[in-house]
Amino acid sequence: MIGSREFPRLTATNYRVTSPATSDYNCIAWAAEDEHHWWQPGVFWPLAGSSADFGIEVLVEAFRSLGFEPCANAEFELGVEKIAIYGSSLFYTHAARQLPGGTWTSKLGRDVDIEHDMPTDVAGGLYGEVVRFMSRPAR
Amino acid sequence: MTATMQAQLSAETRDRFQRLAAEWKEQSRYLSNTAQMAMLRPYQRIIGMGLSVVPLILEELQHEPDQWFWALESITEENPVPTEAAGNVRQMAQAWIDWGKRNGFVSP
Repeated sequence: MIGSREFPRLTATNYRVTSPATSDYNCIAWAAEDEHHWWQPGVFWPLAGSSADFGIEVLVEAFRSLGFEPCANAEFELGVEKIAIYGSSLFYTHAARQLPGGTWTSKLGRDVDIEHDMPTDVAGGLYGEVVRFMSRPAR
Repeated sequence: MTATMQAQLSAETRDRFQRLAAEWKEQSRYLSNTAQMAMLRPYQRIIGMGLSVVPLILEELQHEPDQWFWALESITEENPVPTEAAGNVRQMAQAWIDWGKRNGFVSP
């Protein structure tokens, strides 16, 4: 069962578990559609020569290198892929990806993947709040 | 780990590590930012236990690959993970286990 203290906005009806727990990949990898790596600045990161800096802008730049640009909101747009970046104080904490149907998917640390209705469903607790939306043309 | 090293590991060290590791796993369960995971108090306390805890971390990695790499690098000042394995948790774990065997922290 997913912790209500960490995710106070998840309810019985606004999310579905979609995978077993695994430590093979993290939420950043999952948002980038990679199930084989734990993305970490300085270890495995899309930008060459990344240092061990875990700030929000570091993650924004990583997704920018994948073709994403900041956008205004989470509204579903046909032919557009969107991600949400979450932050709490200095650190990025999480990333979620919009699915083709308009719902969202998140990998919760080394725990399960979930599909959730809105990006804000996993905010308000451990992950802080959404600090950026980014988008790119669908591939 | 050699028999000598195993004998040197006190029950108190093993118990303390297991308690701290369990606390860290619970507290970091939903985290993806490795820096946040490494800054949790139980993880920092494990790093503070120094070289004596390396065999226990490597045992953990053999049992269940997880984000123990930050601690191992901090304690040993080594990084045996080849570039092509970076980010692949299972391959990183194996690289550290192999390093442990070469350096007497894990039985060959």
